[in-house]
Amino acid sequence: MDPSASARSALPLRVDDLSVAYGERTAVDHLSLEVRPGEIYGLLGSNGAGKSSTIKSIVGLLRPEAGTIRVFGRDVRTESLATKASIGYVPETSMLYEALTPHEFLEFVAGVRRLDPAATAARARNLVIAFRLTDEFEEPIATLSNGTRQKVLLVAALLHQPPLLVLDEPLNHLDPRSLRLMKDLLAQYVRTGTRGVLFSTHAMEIAEQLCHRVGILDHGVLRGEGSLASLRERGAEGDASLEQIFLHLTQEDEGVKAALASLERT
Amino acid sequence: MGWRAAFRLSGVAFTELSFQAIYAFRQGNLLPPVAGSKLTSQARTRVLQSKALVAGLLGFLTFGAAFVLHNAAFVSANLLPYPIPPPLFDAGVLTALLSLDVAFLWWTGLQVLPTFLSSGVLPVLEPLPIDDATLRQAATILYLRLFDLPVLTLLVLTPLLVGFALGPLAGVAILPGVAAAVVYALALALVTGRFFVRRVQGSRGGGGRSLLRWTYLVLWVVPAFGLFGFVTLAPSFFGALAHLAAAGPSTAFNLLLTAYPFPLAVAPVLLTQGSGAVPLGGSGLLILLASFVAYTALAVGAAVWMAGAIRDVGLAPPTVPVAAQGGLRNLRPTGAVYAVLVKDLRMASRTPGYAFLILLPILDAVALGLLTFVSGPRPGTGTSLALGAVTTAALLATFFGPAFFAIEVVAYSYGRTLPLPDRSLVLGKVALITMVYLVAGGLVLAITDLRISDPWVFLGFVLAELPAVAAASFLELGILLQRARRKGLPLVNLYTGAWVAVLVSIPGLLVASAPLVAFEALRAGSQPLAVGTMALVALGCLALIAPFVLRRRDA
Repeated sequence: MDPSASARSALPLRVDDLSVAYGERTAVDHLSLEVRPGEIYGLLGSNGAGKSSTIKSIVGLLRPEAGTIRVFGRDVRTESLATKASIGYVPETSMLYEALTPHEFLEFVAGVRRLDPAATAARARNLVIAFRLTDEFEEPIATLSNGTRQKVLLVAALLHQPPLLVLDEPLNHLDPRSLRLMKDLLAQYVRTGTRGVLFSTHAMEIAEQLCHRVGILDHGVLRGEGSLASLRERGAEGDASLEQIFLHLTQEDEGVKAALASLERT
Repeated sequence: MGWRAAFRLSGVAFTELSFQAIYAFRQGNLLPPVAGSKLTSQARTRVLQSKALVAGLLGFLTFGAAFVLHNAAFVSANLLPYPIPPPLFDAGVLTALLSLDVAFLWWTGLQVLPTFLSSGVLPVLEPLPIDDATLRQAATILYLRLFDLPVLTLLVLTPLLVGFALGPLAGVAILPGVAAAVVYALALALVTGRFFVRRVQGSRGGGGRSLLRWTYLVLWVVPAFGLFGFVTLAPSFFGALAHLAAAGPSTAFNLLLTAYPFPLAVAPVLLTQGSGAVPLGGSGLLILLASFVAYTALAVGAAVWMAGAIRDVGLAPPTVPVAAQGGLRNLRPTGAVYAVLVKDLRMASRTPGYAFLILLPILDAVALGLLTFVSGPRPGTGTSLALGAVTTAALLATFFGPAFFAIEVVAYSYGRTLPLPDRSLVLGKVALITMVYLVAGGLVLAITDLRISDPWVFLGFVLAELPAVAAASFLELGILLQRARRKGLPLVNLYTGAWVAVLVSIPGLLVASAPLVAFEALRAGSQPLAVGTMALVALGCLALIAPFVLRRRDA
């Protein structure tokens, strides 16, 4: 195998020229990005920017119009089962079997993933205790709060210690303790140097704290990509925050000022 | 704001409800990639189609009853083994019709109620500046809109067809009975639906609670089971009527006059044929009149109660009993096929609609088994009934097969992100269907053991049919899976894709019937030969279909 091919197969995620459309509307337009080993990659964008469509294409929920997606060198279309086995996914909305309890749901997920019973039981126990899910472990998911559902999904995603975590707005409903736990966990998770994390978020502060690199999506197009430092170099101001860089690259800073002025007038 | 505003609000809410029912968006399903306006119109059309299907089935039942009434003399003389006075026969047919109307509409209500409650359309309206009365009215209209076409079919078609068969006066006189049947069914759906949403859907896991939930579900299914129970027990019912008629006025007959829906069904007969048509006796007429008034008043009361209760039911979340603290139970992961099977059983134990599909074939077999047991040790009869019970279980399990696939819609999108091969999914569902069949067959065998002259033939029959049930399930689920993967459309409940489920059931039923036909053809000669041939046909079906469905390799 030539060295470049070997490097490609070690990449947790590589997206090339991805396009997704809903009828006439283009949600993702020729997007290319990669998540490198040991990296947390943040996908930032406004509502409807194409973040979730990108993520759904990666986990096999959407069939893109064009482009290829590879997880550790495997095409998600042609080797979907193998790539799904390598991914831990937390969806944007809590897509759970509401009639099951977290215990029953996790048992189902572990069964489908054919995990080793002894190791899984121990790992699940640790995760459940860490996320303080013990009291709700036997309650039907239908009765749980959004934050608790989110924790169940996080546990399900981490259960098999996947080499790639794909998290769609994973921190939205979490309480401060779980948020801190999740941030530290993600940082620790990629320290092995082989795993990767892709996560989408609106929260610029979290992305700033957590991500090694970020990609800024706007109307399905990647407007900027790189580490915070490299993006600052491209931005107008030397010490700009990620929020300022985001607004600058998406050309929304003027739009925000105009909207505020208009609201003040009315 | 008033009824007009309430109607307008209910229209918006119903569109949302249809949308939720078809696409299960809140349950995590992914919307198909088409324009939003198209999605909404598709949802409306599909809900309308499904309502039309339910209405069609109710219409079919009514036509059937009218046909029997129109040809009462022929039917009672040639098809019933005992003489029964024509007026009593007519009352019996109308009793059966009203019972079936209640059972079928109640069952439909229970199928759609979980969607009504989980869609959250009423909580969305609550914070808006709408007065209390209008919200209550909107909730009531919304609930009624779930049933509008089937209810209209009953209210219009039944008087027309009964009028055609027995005379215009009878057509008018059956109207209170039909209206009461509709009100009872909708109220029962609401009451039982609410109870089970609280006690079953909100029940904790572990600690034997699963068994308790299944017990609740059996209790819940028993009344709804009336639909099939009545069909099954109809000959005995007419036999009892004939016996009562021959005995003349009696306490037993007076009791019958108080039992729903007999008083409402006998009224049209008395109005058209006079009070002498039925052996009422002195007190009988009074009892009948009192029962008629009581049931009508009860229906009015139920309607008033419903008008007030629907909003509260729609708003109430599933309540959970106070959490009993216990140790953290370990996960016990298994293989993928078993994981699918266990997950389905656990979900069914908290989802009455699905539990019904599992319990119905089993309870039907139990009912027939009990009938066999009480029919006495007459040679041949017991075996025929037992074989009938197993046949019904096989066909019912096959007929409901597509609905077991519907369970996948819940968190459908999440399931698609797991490395779950299609073959494991199909095998898990086929295991569930064959398990239902085997439990039903086993129960019939256990109950009728003493009454069957040749238990080994019967055991052979149960086992010989098993591959055909599996083959039929493979066929149905293979078609459905292909369709769901292609279109991304889930089957949520009766109102989302019932017509697809019915269409897919047809080839399944043909496959499940093939060995039964072979058995019937050869049964008169040698029963062991018939069972052997049956097994060969069933295995042939399985050998042809299973590889075809399972060969589709996941990437």
